[in-house]
Amino acid sequence: MRSFQPFSQQGFARILAETRTHYPLSPGLISIEQLKSIEGYSAFFNFPFPPSYSNIETNEYFLEWILPEKKKEKALAKSFTLSNQPFYPSYMSNEISSEDFTEYAKTFSSLPEQHKQIFTLPLSWIDSPIVEEVIKTDVSLIALTGLPSLFNNQRKLTEALVLIRTKLPPDIAIYLPGHISPELYTFLVYAGIDFFDNSIAYFTSKRGYFLTSKGTFSLQNHPSCYCKDCMSSPPNIFGHNETVLKNTLAEIRFALNSGTFRSLVEQDIHNSITFAAALRQFDRNYSSAFRLRTPVLSSAPIKCVGEESLFRPEIVEFRERVKKRFIPDSNCRIVILLPCSARKPYSFSRSHMLFRKAVKEGVGKLRGIISELIITSPLAVVPRELENIYPAKSYDIPVAGQWNNEEIEVTTSLLLEILSKYSSEIVIINHTHGEGYNDIVENIKNKISSRIISTSQESSPTSNESLSKLTSTLKEIVSDSQNTQIQGIPTVLKQLRAVADYQYGNGVGKTLFNGTIKIKGKYPRDRQIFRNKEHIANIRSKDGFLTIQPQSAQEIVDLSYTNLEFGDERVSGSNIYAPGCLKADKRIHPNDDILVVFNNQVIATGTAVVSGEDMNKMTSGILAGVRKKYKVKI
Amino acid sequence: MKINKSLAEEILKIRESTLPTRRHSRKVTHWKEDHRLRSGKGEALVFILPTKGCSWALAKSGGCSICGYIYDNPQESDFDMMVSSIKNSLRRTIEEGKYSIKLFTSGSFLDEKELPIEIQASIIQEIAKFEQIEEVVLESRPEYITDKILQNLAKHIEISKIEIAIGLESANNGILKNSINKGFFWEDFEKSVKRVLSSGAKVKTYLLFKPPFVSEYDSIKDILQSVSKVVSIGIDTVSINAMSIHRGTLLSEVYEQKLYRSPWLWSLLTICKEIKQKYPKIRIICDIVAGGKERGAHNCGECDEVIIRKIKKFTITQNLDELEDEEGCSCKEEWKSFLISEKINISDYVYVPYLE
Repeated sequence: MRSFQPFSQQGFARILAETRTHYPLSPGLISIEQLKSIEGYSAFFNFPFPPSYSNIETNEYFLEWILPEKKKEKALAKSFTLSNQPFYPSYMSNEISSEDFTEYAKTFSSLPEQHKQIFTLPLSWIDSPIVEEVIKTDVSLIALTGLPSLFNNQRKLTEALVLIRTKLPPDIAIYLPGHISPELYTFLVYAGIDFFDNSIAYFTSKRGYFLTSKGTFSLQNHPSCYCKDCMSSPPNIFGHNETVLKNTLAEIRFALNSGTFRSLVEQDIHNSITFAAALRQFDRNYSSAFRLRTPVLSSAPIKCVGEESLFRPEIVEFRERVKKRFIPDSNCRIVILLPCSARKPYSFSRSHMLFRKAVKEGVGKLRGIISELIITSPLAVVPRELENIYPAKSYDIPVAGQWNNEEIEVTTSLLLEILSKYSSEIVIINHTHGEGYNDIVENIKNKISSRIISTSQESSPTSNESLSKLTSTLKEIVSDSQNTQIQGIPTVLKQLRAVADYQYGNGVGKTLFNGTIKIKGKYPRDRQIFRNKEHIANIRSKDGFLTIQPQSAQEIVDLSYTNLEFGDERVSGSNIYAPGCLKADKRIHPNDDILVVFNNQVIATGTAVVSGEDMNKMTSGILAGVRKKYKVKI
Repeated sequence: MKINKSLAEEILKIRESTLPTRRHSRKVTHWKEDHRLRSGKGEALVFILPTKGCSWALAKSGGCSICGYIYDNPQESDFDMMVSSIKNSLRRTIEEGKYSIKLFTSGSFLDEKELPIEIQASIIQEIAKFEQIEEVVLESRPEYITDKILQNLAKHIEISKIEIAIGLESANNGILKNSINKGFFWEDFEKSVKRVLSSGAKVKTYLLFKPPFVSEYDSIKDILQSVSKVVSIGIDTVSINAMSIHRGTLLSEVYEQKLYRSPWLWSLLTICKEIKQKYPKIRIICDIVAGGKERGAHNCGECDEVIIRKIKKFTITQNLDELEDEEGCSCKEEWKSFLISEKINISDYVYVPYLE
């Protein structure tokens, strides 16, 4: 645990402190030289060129950042110095001998502060304790070498990339120097690389290569381009290639800002077989590292186009949370399995309106004993209570009616997990139709003791035949005398509790929402939740999640998974910076609503900018934005 | 200072596997070429003497990381044939005019193990018979330049005609140790130079442009710094040797792994200009081996010949105007970006995965 320090005492300028959150600069492009038009670049190298007697004593090579005017005043450093590269041989292959690397690291550590900002790290040395020492110093940018040689080996590539980002703190930017072609940018940024350079534009332009964001072509045969550089005569190939690099990164920054980055990654990896395979590796073998850094609270649409979507981080996270945090009401006696609908939330769709009508006819006032689970791919199972939140309310999938084995497997296992939370006396009504659904139900049949009744075996779930069968089946069950006594809790309350648990952690919903709960306000405005006439929280229309008032948040401080322990009794300003954070819950995801806590007192609520894990690792930079402050009288 | 053991081991491994394949030519090769003498334009007669080769290259330390000349030397030499063949060639070739004789052994002329002292003497005696010969260039490592050897030379020829060429490569001990495995250091060189100069003979220094593991940008700086250092101890002739990649060397392996690009001709042009401007009186020699080829100094392929011609002309005339390049080639931009990105990142720069 770090001690609390004022920001000014944090070592020398790290303007990149918020690497990924510092959008004006990262991810970005570095220019090899100071070009006439430097727009679109994050920085450029300022070297005396060519080396001559007049500059021979210069051992300082600057990396100058191109900062927006507003940032310029605040930035503690406008340029970095590339430490005079110590002698750096690699006797054989890419292996740099231990002696040489130790020597380099030692020289680096002995440099004066302002020269210690850029460290060149050969990939093979990333695991070394020497590197751990180096990153404790004030290094801000790591120039990573040796990675491109792994570009045709997806297993080694994924291992390396995961290692890089787990070893290096999140507030150190990673620069991948050299000829990296632009169609690989999206994936590499996703894997945690922050900077590229334009050397490939110089290299390819002379050799007759034409870059596009989809791949590299020869000058003789390439897709037409109508940019200003291509239209000039003779065409300015360097200008075109350079623009492609800049545009590719601009697209990435846009997607990052609008929360659609993962969809962009899924599109772009199809440019490279290795990278497509690498993404699958990430999703399957290293999913936790990526999940933690993926926002769970979002409103961006998810387009599940490719096979990759089944293991998309936010989707895996949804399944995990449903598995761990969803607790069905103990009064529940009947579980109805329903198919999904194209329209989200499901309740707004024609089919689900029909289902509701049929259910209402069947159970009458006893709705409280019913629990509805929607079976869908790739989310697997969505309890009705959670249909209004991201990602259940904003995913889309090209429906072909066919389930693949993996989807069936994933869905079956989650469904079993959820069903095991109900009492064994429940009756399961399977109101789905089709091969995939059948397989899933067949799979669970042998593993649970509850009775399963199928109501839509013969025809589509929305057919009159199936709907009336659903109604009659429900009537039959309800007429069993023991069920008539049970009242159950209102659907709205169930929903609020489920969302609160999903968002903040187990038990939060019950603690917060008891007594007389009233909801005021109308869509599209955020609705307000009153408990015993006290305004305790809001439901955000944007994403379906809750904003809890700081004074009410105090009630859940012991339960919440989103606490950030602050180092002072008062939050000043509108952001929380790393030095102020003593400890953050590792379960915090970026975008999460967090509770800022001092001495077990909630002093503010906020929105996380980075993950909890990163909060703990960062030594400077913004961790979270402050939403509302609460003055505590101590 | 001591040598770098791990570097030496790597080199030795390669040497031991390549040495058995070396050729056995025992003939003396010679040719004539245009040359810049101290007194002006003239001609040079170059002899390649088939000795058994450089003792350093044959030593257990493996020799220099960049040198594959040893593979052209025979395992044993016939000294009588050598002397008589030199005698004949001299008689046949030397005419009116000014001449410089270059005696190259791919090792050290002054090393008694390579060339016994009496053979050294008889070769020099033959040369001394010709008045037209104004300069005799011998190559040697500094450790063989002893007072005894120098006195031996002085007995047979006017010592001021002798020019001893020493391959210093770099005045930076770090580079000598960790990149070239040269086996001697600046201080050894300095001592030998003083010895030669005080005997009345002249010294020429070879500097190596772009040894392995040093970026081209840093190597330009190193050459400039080395020239200053060399000039400061009284040397008036500097030969800039752009790296060419010999087979059977450590450098060649590094090159094959795409971790090395042989130097750009633009860099050589820059270096020559820069030195001549700073030290107008110094004679700069820049013979480009394998120029324009993948394994020698080269540019984009289009402008190579023009630039090589310019540098050759400059070496003869020592006139800076020869180096002006008005038109310039578009690859000059790539050269610039290459130098900078190579400096930032010494291992990834030549490797372009997607173009493979």
